[in-house]
Amino acid sequence: MKFREIFRFEFAYQVRRVWTWLFFAVLIAIAFLMTRDGTLAEALRDDFFLNSPFAIAKTTVTCSLIWLLVAPVVAGEAAARDVATGMHPLTYTAPISKAEYLGGRFLAALALNALILLAVQAGILLAVYSPGVDVEILGPFRPGAYLTAYGFIALPNAFVATAIQFSLAARSGRPMASFLGSVLLFFMAYVVSIFLLFQGRQDVANLLDPIGVHFILSDLSHLWTTIEKSWRLIELEGTVLRNRLLWLGIALGALAVTYLRFRFAHRTESTWWTRRSRRRDAHSPMPAGIGVTASTPISVPQVPRTFGFAIHARQTLAIAWTSFRTIATSWAGLALLAAIPLMTVPVVLDQMELNGVPLVPRTARVIEELTAPLSAELSRWVIIPLLLVFFAGELVWREREAGLGEITDAMPGSEWVPFLGKFLGLGLVLVVFMALLTTAGILAQVILGYQEFEIGLYLKILFGLQLPEYLLFALLALVVHGPVDQKYIGHLVAIIAYVFITLASMFGIEHNLLIYGAGPEWSYTEMRSFGPSLGPWLWFKLYWAAWALLLAVVARLLWVRGRERGPGVRLRLARHRFTRPTAWTAAAAVGLILTLGGFIFYNTNVLNEYLTASDITERRAEYERRYRRYAGIPQPRLTGTNLHVEIHPERREAEIRGTYRLVNSSGVAIDSIHLATVPDVETGAVAFDRPAEPVILDEDLHHRIYTLERPLQPGDSLRLDFQVRVEPHGFRESGVDASVVANGAFFTNRDWLPAIGYQRDRELTSPADRRAHGLAPRPLIASLYDVEARKDRGDGIAFEAVVGTDENQVAVAPGALRGTWTEGGRRYFRYSTDAPIGEYAFFSADYAVHEARWNDVAIRIYHHPGHTANLDRMVRSVRASLDYYTEQFSPYPYSHISLVEHPGHGTGMHADPSMITYEEGFSDWTPEDDPGSLDLPFAVVAHEMAHQWTVPYAHVEGAPVMSESIAWYYGMKVVENARGREHLRRLLSFMRQPHPYPQIRRGEPLLRGLDPYLSYRKGPFALYALSEYIGEERVNGALRRLIEVHGSGEAPLATTLDLYRELQAVTPKSLQYLLHDLFEVNTYWELEMERATAEQTGEGAWQVTLDVRARKVVADPAGVETEVPIDEWVEVGVFAPAGEGEELSEPLYVQKHRIRSGQQTITVTAPRKPVGAGIDPYHVLDWEEGEDDDNIEGVEIER
Amino acid sequence: MELHIRDVSKTYPNGVQALKDVTLTIPAGMYGLLGPNGAGKSTLMRILATLQEPDEGSIRLGDTDVLNQKGEVRKTLGYLPQEFGVYPKVSAENLLNHFALLKGIAERRARKEVVEALLRQTNLWEVRKQKLGGYSGGMKQRFGVAVALLGNPKLMIVDEPTAGLDPAERVRFLNLLSEVGENSVVLLSTHIVEDVSELCTRMAIIDRGEILLAAEPLGAVGDLRGRIWRRVISKEELPELEREHAVISTKLLAGRTVAHVYSETAPGPGFEPTEPDLEDVYSSTMAGHIGRRLEQSGPAVAS
Repeated sequence: MKFREIFRFEFAYQVRRVWTWLFFAVLIAIAFLMTRDGTLAEALRDDFFLNSPFAIAKTTVTCSLIWLLVAPVVAGEAAARDVATGMHPLTYTAPISKAEYLGGRFLAALALNALILLAVQAGILLAVYSPGVDVEILGPFRPGAYLTAYGFIALPNAFVATAIQFSLAARSGRPMASFLGSVLLFFMAYVVSIFLLFQGRQDVANLLDPIGVHFILSDLSHLWTTIEKSWRLIELEGTVLRNRLLWLGIALGALAVTYLRFRFAHRTESTWWTRRSRRRDAHSPMPAGIGVTASTPISVPQVPRTFGFAIHARQTLAIAWTSFRTIATSWAGLALLAAIPLMTVPVVLDQMELNGVPLVPRTARVIEELTAPLSAELSRWVIIPLLLVFFAGELVWREREAGLGEITDAMPGSEWVPFLGKFLGLGLVLVVFMALLTTAGILAQVILGYQEFEIGLYLKILFGLQLPEYLLFALLALVVHGPVDQKYIGHLVAIIAYVFITLASMFGIEHNLLIYGAGPEWSYTEMRSFGPSLGPWLWFKLYWAAWALLLAVVARLLWVRGRERGPGVRLRLARHRFTRPTAWTAAAAVGLILTLGGFIFYNTNVLNEYLTASDITERRAEYERRYRRYAGIPQPRLTGTNLHVEIHPERREAEIRGTYRLVNSSGVAIDSIHLATVPDVETGAVAFDRPAEPVILDEDLHHRIYTLERPLQPGDSLRLDFQVRVEPHGFRESGVDASVVANGAFFTNRDWLPAIGYQRDRELTSPADRRAHGLAPRPLIASLYDVEARKDRGDGIAFEAVVGTDENQVAVAPGALRGTWTEGGRRYFRYSTDAPIGEYAFFSADYAVHEARWNDVAIRIYHHPGHTANLDRMVRSVRASLDYYTEQFSPYPYSHISLVEHPGHGTGMHADPSMITYEEGFSDWTPEDDPGSLDLPFAVVAHEMAHQWTVPYAHVEGAPVMSESIAWYYGMKVVENARGREHLRRLLSFMRQPHPYPQIRRGEPLLRGLDPYLSYRKGPFALYALSEYIGEERVNGALRRLIEVHGSGEAPLATTLDLYRELQAVTPKSLQYLLHDLFEVNTYWELEMERATAEQTGEGAWQVTLDVRARKVVADPAGVETEVPIDEWVEVGVFAPAGEGEELSEPLYVQKHRIRSGQQTITVTAPRKPVGAGIDPYHVLDWEEGEDDDNIEGVEIER
Repeated sequence: MELHIRDVSKTYPNGVQALKDVTLTIPAGMYGLLGPNGAGKSTLMRILATLQEPDEGSIRLGDTDVLNQKGEVRKTLGYLPQEFGVYPKVSAENLLNHFALLKGIAERRARKEVVEALLRQTNLWEVRKQKLGGYSGGMKQRFGVAVALLGNPKLMIVDEPTAGLDPAERVRFLNLLSEVGENSVVLLSTHIVEDVSELCTRMAIIDRGEILLAAEPLGAVGDLRGRIWRRVISKEELPELEREHAVISTKLLAGRTVAHVYSETAPGPGFEPTEPDLEDVYSSTMAGHIGRRLEQSGPAVAS
């Protein structure tokens, strides 16, 4: 009865509050926009239904996150309103039980939140069924889709969040404490799960994520096929179920603690430390009331008072200091200033290792972990703006909440004093935070034994670049909270402002001039330093600082002082406050906004072309509409390129004069040449070695057509001369193109040089975009069985270039270095190739060159002088690769191989013919030298070297398998050959980790594989498994044959079908089933060791009995799994204890046994006492390892 | 310096008219604003303390326009609101020092002196290091006074300051105020008649937003002489008495009811003349026998 009344009253009270409905409205709006914009965009790329269960679940999760941040006060109010308003003596003394009071309040809050979250489903329904949606992407209406999203995601989230928020608010007696609960959960959902505190531990991340961000947004997005994304309902099973149960448990625990610790008692200020100081105070004399007789008059001295700038400044500083102290001594402040820097140390330590291999903790790399632009919503540092919103609210409301509002409001002095004081206080908190982050970064470096701290770089970036970013936002938060005379609404507005900043493009706003605090990002690498990135960054930040100044004026004018709430009166007050200095400040701010904004606009939109995302889409559509008709016409083939490249690093300019040699290899005469030029560079006039007329010079869509007076006859060739000029014009909206910089210039032919013919890769690919622009559907990639696509070959070109650069730099281009000279204060390099190449790139930097040889092949590594850690390793791997590949497959066609470093943080490599390029990050790998650890960089180089043997393949389904899978199989073999079988097992073990490519059990079979899991993992595993069954020699034979047939360039381009045919040819009949299982269908072997026992049967004879279970499953592209019977040979092994540094223990017995489906017992004999036994112990067929490794078990000894 | 309030009216958005054409002239010295709860005292006080805006009217303090020169007013203002809180985790000394800076006392030594003197004056010196969260209601009130007294205010607004004080503290507090009142305008609002009678040289009675009487307490009491009659009755007799006479107040005395009646002539047997006090002035004004209500409607009850 009482419980019902408490519930009813609370529910009715809040349901009548305006904020409840504001939250509702905000969620409807965001769900609507997300569905219309976010999901739509993705639905289009992937082409699943807009109203599929998956899309609905995704929107629900994202909106849950936003709900978490905007609506914590619902629970906070329910838990702490009585204490906050001072009503608690009345409620606490009413004859009610704790269970009734807390239960009623909690359930009311939960009911309200459940109600508010219905807005998400309402918003989605509205977005799906209101006009303006392309009917083709609408699936049937399925109530289950909405109900599962609401029931499995929104409701449990509501319960967990309400419980945590409620507990914190009840404990502290302050409604806003619930916001901290939200930030905590948000942090868990985002940072812990996405941020790989547990790198590669997807399962842990899934479990710990309270909101479902991880398992919906990243797991399902990745693992579900398009068909599943359209049709499959979210189910409560597996990780999802475990996660939901775990968090329900945590929530119940929080509630239980709240219940147990709650007292209907007077609240005194007590934290552990005030309790201690109180004890001391207790002894100090307490004056009783003041007797009349005791009154001897005490005169208060007359002291001078001043009112002016100086005293205002001092008052401001005093307020800044008290504000700082308030924050620094609060729980949330301690979290910011102690917990976060402390937690940063292990996070940085963790990030200084990638794929199990340590990285050099260079200051630039550490700083990368410590910084993020304000708008990076996926960064772990989103927590800072969220805390800033909270702190701003606390500071602005500090006097009013303490009941001192009227006294302070009646104090002399302008509104600038409290506003600026609080801003400076918040700023001081941030400065201290930055200092602590710096310390955390340095500490992490010390722990890793790294000594070159580069304090200056820390200061420059953290205080010079990151701090202003936060200060701008802190000011915005204060400006919102100041004039908004309702704390919760202030929070709501500030959070929405932040959401807008991070997701502005979702709301259709893209230009950085329109998004508060936004601007192009700065970048820093050791090679390039800041390059040209600081200028535009600074202009934009200055522009926003001018806005901040104007906002500060607005805040001052509308600052709440006194009791007046009405807008009319406040405007009247504002007019009074609009004094001459304020007016001048406002005028200065507006002037600065206009000048800076004008200057920026001149740069971004006048000097450079500014295109919105939809402009770009429209251009691509228009390109296709206008020029698609030329896609099939015969065009001459590019066979030779001769370039003269002048790079001016300091001026960030480049000029290219080039000659293309074009050959008509079609059967008909060609009368017109189509040339695709490149945006953002000036492609000058084009000349041919025979009379030609330009017919179309389309500089918007970058397509030119020239007609030849005399058609080019079959077999004839043509010379085309062109000129390309690249120079910076101010800066663009996205910043400055860093292709040519003072040190570390890098660009490719695709970036700048014209190409022949219609460019299919400029077409729109997403089905939705195509529909929207009235273009016919086209597959993302041609079918594997499309015979036409195999003919579409671009042969390699003969390449020759002279590259000039500054005198102190080295310029690199493909081909062998034929000469170098200095002329006019510039240095020139001439390169030419000795075998055809395809894509190519140019580099210029102050390189150091590390040279080595392999037979007649010159190995050159062009690297940044400091980046020397991996040079020898790279040379070793290049040599080992050349050894193995030339012996097994075919000769290396070039006289050189160049490895070139260029600016960037990436840790991977890229292979072009005769050239391997890598970003600076690769230089930071420092594999441990002990024999037990994996030398991943060695394997990566071997893999990239293998690309030199990649056969020309057709751009059809399965293309990545032809390139990456085969190259990784090659790489694995080099590792095995050069480093031994043990090391190969370590590499395989690494590759079987779910990070970065988690296993996908559904989808296309390997022959049609496109996904990175298929190409980088499953493909190599399949080839390796085959080599284990039929032998390395046979597999290599098949691959050699592939090169013989397709390598020369005469035959049609290779596809996986050709690979498959060659493999079939070398596979004995008895094992053809395996080939089929690996390539034609998606087969998964689940081999499980249930129990192993051993018994000594004599001297040197142990009988080992293995209970095993086997299952084989075939999954179709839609994800339907069918079990198929097994009757095949599988390895069985028995092992002695592992030796020092060995992955697996010493094998005592390894043999293939005939295995059938289901449970079975195998008995083998071992010569010594075994410790472990397993089925498929080396994971040749069953690729799941790590957590789920059930292939091997310990052996129980029976006597 | 005088405070001139002219035709000030204020209506809240919910329709409650808090002030109706309030006009008062308040000279230096202690001025009492007497009225029941909800009479509009606090609204008027907050308007004078620059925290609220009247709908109409003007207020001048000497040459200063209170409504439009808030900054100037605040420099000479001491304000003690009816209800206020404190930062629980700060010591009295620190917070008072903070406010002293906000009031413009720039020099550190001067600030220290002032803070010490005020803490001694409000008898908080012994507990100056203690956190304000541990203060009793009276101590908090005295702390508020100390804040209000900072910077020698020329205009002191104290809103129901004695409500939470025990008798001794109240006396002490009133003494303090009267010292300030020697050369400043001190406006004290209260619903306790004794506060005014003990302290104020001038007073006004306010009810439902209207000033009913503005007078000097002694003069007002003098004017009533001979018009207040007293009769001791039992509780049952009261309704009849009220029907026949202008009863302005009743009081219990040892279980019997003492009724005061306003009458210009002797009301009859059983009544005895009594020496009027400020209480009677207040009651008569509220009942409409004297002051503005009388002017507006004539005698409320025929005698």
